[in-house]
Amino acid sequence: MVSRGALVYIGQRTVLILFTAVAVSSIVFLAIHRIPGDALLNERHPDPTAEAELLHHYHLDLPLYRQYTLFVTNLVFHGDFGESLVNRGEQLTPLLLREATVSLEIGLIALIFTIGVGVLLGVFAAIRQNTWVDYTLTTTSVIGYSMPNFVIATFLVLVFSKLMYTWTNGSFYVPEGWDGTYGLLSQIPVPAFALGFPYASIVARLTRASMLEVIRQDYIRTAEAKGLKERVVIIRHALRNALIPVITILGPLTIGIITGGVVIENVFNIPGLGKEFVTSIITRDYNIVIGVFTVYAVLIGMANLGVDLVYTVLDPRIRY
Amino acid sequence: MRLRKLKGAALLGVTSVVLAACGGGSTSGGGTGLAANQTLSFPIDGDIGSFDPAEINAETDVVLYQNLFEGLLKLDNNLNIVPDIATDVPSDTNGGISSDGLTYTFHLVKNAKFSDGNPITCKDAVYSWNRSAADTSAYGSDFDHVVGYDKVSAKGSTVKEMSGLTCSDDYTLVAKLISPWPVFLTEVAFQPAAVVIEKSAVDKDPTNWWGTPGEEISSGPFVLSARTPGQSLDFSANSNWWGSTKPTLKKIHIDIVKDMSSALVKYQQGGYDTIGFGGMNSDLNPDDVYAVKNDATKSKDLHEIPKTRSIWVAFDFKGAGAAKWGGLTGAGHDLRLALSLAVDRNQLADLACSHSLICKPATGGLIAKGLKGYMGDNTDPTAKFDLATAKQLLKSADPTGAKLKGTVYVTDTNKAVYKNVAEQLISQWKTNLGIDVTEQVVDHSAFIKQYTSHSIPGPHREGWQADYDHPQDWFDNLFICGASSNGSQFCDPQVDTLAKKADTEPLAQAIPDYQAAETQLEKDAAFVPLVYTSGDILWHSYVQDIGANSFNDWYWLGIKIGSH
Repeated sequence: MVSRGALVYIGQRTVLILFTAVAVSSIVFLAIHRIPGDALLNERHPDPTAEAELLHHYHLDLPLYRQYTLFVTNLVFHGDFGESLVNRGEQLTPLLLREATVSLEIGLIALIFTIGVGVLLGVFAAIRQNTWVDYTLTTTSVIGYSMPNFVIATFLVLVFSKLMYTWTNGSFYVPEGWDGTYGLLSQIPVPAFALGFPYASIVARLTRASMLEVIRQDYIRTAEAKGLKERVVIIRHALRNALIPVITILGPLTIGIITGGVVIENVFNIPGLGKEFVTSIITRDYNIVIGVFTVYAVLIGMANLGVDLVYTVLDPRIRY
Repeated sequence: MRLRKLKGAALLGVTSVVLAACGGGSTSGGGTGLAANQTLSFPIDGDIGSFDPAEINAETDVVLYQNLFEGLLKLDNNLNIVPDIATDVPSDTNGGISSDGLTYTFHLVKNAKFSDGNPITCKDAVYSWNRSAADTSAYGSDFDHVVGYDKVSAKGSTVKEMSGLTCSDDYTLVAKLISPWPVFLTEVAFQPAAVVIEKSAVDKDPTNWWGTPGEEISSGPFVLSARTPGQSLDFSANSNWWGSTKPTLKKIHIDIVKDMSSALVKYQQGGYDTIGFGGMNSDLNPDDVYAVKNDATKSKDLHEIPKTRSIWVAFDFKGAGAAKWGGLTGAGHDLRLALSLAVDRNQLADLACSHSLICKPATGGLIAKGLKGYMGDNTDPTAKFDLATAKQLLKSADPTGAKLKGTVYVTDTNKAVYKNVAEQLISQWKTNLGIDVTEQVVDHSAFIKQYTSHSIPGPHREGWQADYDHPQDWFDNLFICGASSNGSQFCDPQVDTLAKKADTEPLAQAIPDYQAAETQLEKDAAFVPLVYTSGDILWHSYVQDIGANSFNDWYWLGIKIGSH
């Protein structure tokens, strides 16, 4: 049952997210128009008449303040990001929404992997402290958060797509690429792993440290003395409290996954926002650049809101 | 104990997912029969800009669209001009070209039709050409010699039809020119602007008729059947295709990828039938191509395609750097020539182009090897590696070294070969002449902005990929005074006189004049020629009748997928 206070809080945060999105769009709008070059330039210098007509079609011949006014009006009142400058006639709002769902798909799987695997490894390392299990998992975590995700991604492609194909003569390998909008089941794990592994390593380290602190508490000793099974003690008593610091970093972690997706999507050719982001900046497709930044701002705002709401589930003392 | 079991299960689960087997790796082999699934699959590294013939510009768009639309003339796979919707190529002998060279008569076949079944007649061709001319985009100006073009293309003009285009009957198109223009047939055969489209399709959705499956009405053997912007394109065989040869391919699936290296991995896994196709033969990573070439098995799939692109160094003849770099004679000339003679182009191609795999030394002028107007191997005196003369010229042009101090070479990131060539060039100038030139790499869009606004005050990358096989394409766009893509603002009236004379002559007569103009360019040391690029395509052996010429891919119409 959601309380009135929570609903008010959610409403306030949603309005803040929308304001943030408009502010981000405005800053990006002004910045992208300052960068030299534009999408309509070509080595084959077009006819001046044609060039003028193209500029007029995209309102690029208007003064910057008028372009901005048009842009804000269309965005706020119609939710319209306009038309692509490179792919003539392509409406951007449906394109960006589709790509956002793809990015959300891979980001969500990466997040589940991050939290699930990170917590699992952290718990194992803590309960097997100073054993080979602990040392192995700790070392793996250090490697994980030391390596940039594009290095991990490239390495995974090399090993699981290229070398494994050669070693097994095409029998066992991870297929490269991305089929359809949402990919095949076999194509999802490797990019999700590449995206989530560095953060899973951070979660593992944090969980280990937090668990080590919690399992030394008196109430844990009491629970063990009562004869409860180790699994029950860990999961029901220790983990819940050990997770609070982990939830604290969930916000930045989610943001890291969202922004890390830019690199991963480009390496694995995933048709999400990240791939569009890089392409649109290189081609100076102004409207797409602004659209991508805006969608990212909204996603990050919503992720932060989600994390704040998760707190209330974990810690009943927190109420809005 | 249970935790141990959980640990084991988790490990097994992860391993299973990661080792997901995905299909048998049956080896390709040229089967004698055809595969049941006649789908050709390949990647391209950027979404199409437009298939609208009036707006089309990028190389990828051109090589794809040529399978969707037909024109009165076209090029065959060997770059010969052949009739398409026309019954034959107009000439003096068949009466298709008048004796004064001003009137061209095209007779259309009577069975040509659009993919919706409607017949293609003269009025469709006239509509299409008028529309391209009125749009005045990339190739619309190819009709600039047709009577009435100036009225149609004028800014704000309400005139939509060139008066020089008429239909004497439903299947005869007559084009009248303002002056003899032997290049006209080449332009009609080569150019996307000259294909035939259906008016009703355009009227239904003027902005996006070409990109919406179902709305795009083609005149060619394939139609656009599905499109996810930024992600994929699908084409299927046109059931109303009127040509005598029917397509064997039923479907073409194209993925839009960001990274061709990853796409190459997918190709090697059997996920694509070919890579480098779709206008991508210059976009494969040179290191990847080199690795393939050195693999005894994989190299059998590799095919090198000479391209029509040249790369050279341009300077500044009229802007801020003109005092240093400009002048047809004198210190500026000597400085440019010194820089050119100090370049060992064999070494340049070897180091910058993966052991000359993706480019070759440019020693026969700026027009790429294999094209009409090419001067011949090792004929360009400015392309000789002559260090002694280079040092002498440098000493006389810049005795104190003050002029070359702080020189910046500007290039862009559009293709890997540009950066590689720049690095090797600067290295050679340092080693051979002892001069320090800084490389400035600018992103492509910013580079084009600087280039087209003539604001680069010194040496910079310049290049050209031919639109069609005629020297007029090079001279009128690049080398004559005020040419639209003459980034350095080079201007020599002698070159202009020769080029303009050649433009009006039949090709056989024109070539010597174009070559004389190019000899003048060499005397002026206007540019530093560097390399001619070549492309690479890989295809599995089961793909039959696939290939590319220096301009385009071979048509999809002839391609077959063999059993494998």
